[in-house]
Amino acid sequence: MSAQPLPHRDHTPADEDRLRRELEHAYREHTGLWGWLTTVDHKSIGKRYIVTAIIFFILGGLNAALMRLQLSRPENNLVGPDLYNQLFTVHGTTMMFLFAVPVMNAMGIYFVPLMVGARNIAYPRLNAFGYWVYLIGGLLLYAGLFTNTGPDTGWFSYVPLAGPEFSPGKRVDIFAQTVTFTEIAALVAAVEIIVTIFKHRAPGMTLGRMPLFVWAQLVTSFMILFAMPWVATASIMLAMDRLIATHFFNPAEGGDTLLWQHLFWFFGHPEVYIIFVPALGMVSQIVTAFTRREIFGYPVMVLSLIMTGFLGFGLWVHHMFATGVPQMAQSFFTAASMMIAIPSGVQIFCWIATIWAGRPRFSVAFLFVLGFVVLFIIGGFTGVMIASVPFDRQAHDTYFIVAHLHYVLIGGAVAPLFGAFYYWFPKLTGRLLSEKLGRWHFALFFIGVNLTFFPMHQLGLDGMTRRVYTYLAGTGWGDLNLLASIGAVTIAASVGVFLINVIRSAARGLRAGDNPWEAETLEWATSSPPPSYNFPYIPVVQSRSPLWNRPPDIPVVTGLRTDMREVLITTLLDARPDSRHRHPNASITPLLTAVATGVTFIMLIFTPWGLPVGGALLTVACVVWGWPNRKEYEEQKLQESS
Amino acid sequence: MTAVRPALDASTLPTTTFSHRSLAWWGTVGFMAIEGTTLFIAVVAYFYLRRNFAAWPPEHILRPDLFWPTVQVILLLASLVPVVLADRAAYRIDVPRLRRWLLVALGFEIVAVVIRWQEFLALNVRWDTNAYGSVVWTLVGFHTTLLLVDVLETAVLLGILYSKRRLERHISDATDVTFYWYFLVATWIPLYVIVYLSPRFM
Repeated sequence: MSAQPLPHRDHTPADEDRLRRELEHAYREHTGLWGWLTTVDHKSIGKRYIVTAIIFFILGGLNAALMRLQLSRPENNLVGPDLYNQLFTVHGTTMMFLFAVPVMNAMGIYFVPLMVGARNIAYPRLNAFGYWVYLIGGLLLYAGLFTNTGPDTGWFSYVPLAGPEFSPGKRVDIFAQTVTFTEIAALVAAVEIIVTIFKHRAPGMTLGRMPLFVWAQLVTSFMILFAMPWVATASIMLAMDRLIATHFFNPAEGGDTLLWQHLFWFFGHPEVYIIFVPALGMVSQIVTAFTRREIFGYPVMVLSLIMTGFLGFGLWVHHMFATGVPQMAQSFFTAASMMIAIPSGVQIFCWIATIWAGRPRFSVAFLFVLGFVVLFIIGGFTGVMIASVPFDRQAHDTYFIVAHLHYVLIGGAVAPLFGAFYYWFPKLTGRLLSEKLGRWHFALFFIGVNLTFFPMHQLGLDGMTRRVYTYLAGTGWGDLNLLASIGAVTIAASVGVFLINVIRSAARGLRAGDNPWEAETLEWATSSPPPSYNFPYIPVVQSRSPLWNRPPDIPVVTGLRTDMREVLITTLLDARPDSRHRHPNASITPLLTAVATGVTFIMLIFTPWGLPVGGALLTVACVVWGWPNRKEYEEQKLQESS
Repeated sequence: MTAVRPALDASTLPTTTFSHRSLAWWGTVGFMAIEGTTLFIAVVAYFYLRRNFAAWPPEHILRPDLFWPTVQVILLLASLVPVVLADRAAYRIDVPRLRRWLLVALGFEIVAVVIRWQEFLALNVRWDTNAYGSVVWTLVGFHTTLLLVDVLETAVLLGILYSKRRLERHISDATDVTFYWYFLVATWIPLYVIVYLSPRFM
């Protein structure tokens, strides 16, 4: 292949053909199974991340469906108490650790590089490693469930229940290690996304010109960086208490059960925003595209995202009001919890202003945004209610909380996510999802969510506690529970319609073209699905809406090598061209390192020898990873000599 | 096909950069943020658990010995000399000097690992004795993990720098290894004060 730079003159179609051929060669991956195991393309990894997360969403949903069937009438015998405990624990663990966070990361992994005009994500091999570690964590959890070793102490696994005394066996260890795996995956994804945003933006895309979804991913990634280590450390401490008899959470030896709650919720509350903030970014992109208006109050929107990120860290104690928090702290955390309504409110008003000024097209993606606004506002209202300590102490551990958290998470994250699937599916596959099926999907989903979770407010106020596997007929809770169960079936039907839509449309949907919604951001500037190298030409960005303010001849970057994966590195604030960097080729080492990580943590469930054995395996894996192979060496040498 | 106009020529941009211009530096900073947070959390746990004890260390447990931990602190501070010299050599693209000083630094790192073993013994408590023992072992243990990672990283990089596979990029990578060592020294000093000194004056 030629290493000649492209001529610095107006490019002809022949130039572009040549460029595409050369880039295709430089970015080609292996074929077949080997290709699947070794790919470092952010799009392949992003797609498999999304698909895996959806599979876990379905599995988590099936757990929920079983619970709802059990609760549909009083004194039902479908599921016993032990299995029920495993079901709600695995449901929560799946939805939080294996679906919500990973799917939001996955959307960032796929779309952030495209939206900032980059050829791949930063640290492509680390990206592949992150996916494999996540997959191992998920498989571990379900291997546990299917062998009757599923965790059974709730998704926040409070001690002392989760400690060695009250939970012998390996169930809780599986929870602890699943958490560790998924945290590693989220942390590496966060670092990759931050560095992609900071250093891989197309020239001219200053921070002030970044799409709001990219801003949301940046804020989320920083939150991950400072929140996830808390639960990872807590889960390591729990695993040590159980394996090598440390006493972090054992009051008899000076340990403290509330330490677990503090550590867990210092992660757990930001976690909600880690899930919710990317969804805000999705909503902003969809609102912009479907009203054909630049977002109203862009700087305020950015500041609101950042403020949400900061405030998210100041709320954790409101999960612990029932533990006897000093009055001063109660007041502080109540005020902080109510304050979070400010940035959320600001964003909602900015979207309304944008919709007001534009001409909204009520396509399915946009319908989901409207659904989000309604559901999220309901969840937000109950959130303000339970921020108040006296009310919280009444509602704590009842179905009122279950209703609240599902309105916030389903309304605040799943609805925008479905909207985002309709919006971006054409980019992923080249085909549009069916609008007709999409409307069915939306209607069933919206009705189902309200039918399931609205009655739970009343059940909670009536005194039904969460995590009970059955209830007596005399409680009078039967009718509302039946209603909730009918709602759950409706949600399941809506997800079924969605899956049919995805499968049918991927094969036979309408061809989308590059930019079916006539949206403004860079991912729509390339073909659908994008080529392996994302963009033949790296564009020079001149405005916040590059595709709406496109000059007749697009300014582009030339001079990057096309015989290897050379990418442009730009400066953090202004995105001025700064250097050239060679991205790595496909490799099996990420998978091998992930397997070594897997062996280490899974061995540690059973024996402390996991540490030396795993340490040795990881050492070998890291040496292989770090040592340049012949091809890499030659490519890099060539690049450095140019 | 779209009409495009070449506006920026990237061919003259450098391929090897240092510090915040290099991607490896950003990766190092990211992991320092994660690891720094982890160490901070362990410190939080230390002070949180301390409230549960009337005496610290708890009764019948000796205070940590100071000899080896203090030797370690002096050694770590002394190790900054070869590390700074290696760093400077890297910025000047002076490979022979970089290799030499990095080798000396690796020597210091290996000695630090050996002394670290003595530091565990100097705690005078087992991890399974009580919550005090658990948290001090964890604090020192977390830092030891990072220490071992840096030894591995330095050794592999040094191997590459002496091999035929050496590239300009590895010289920049060397500055990230030294940068990481600064982080390890900087985090150890407060941990030394907390774990070994604070039971004497607090």
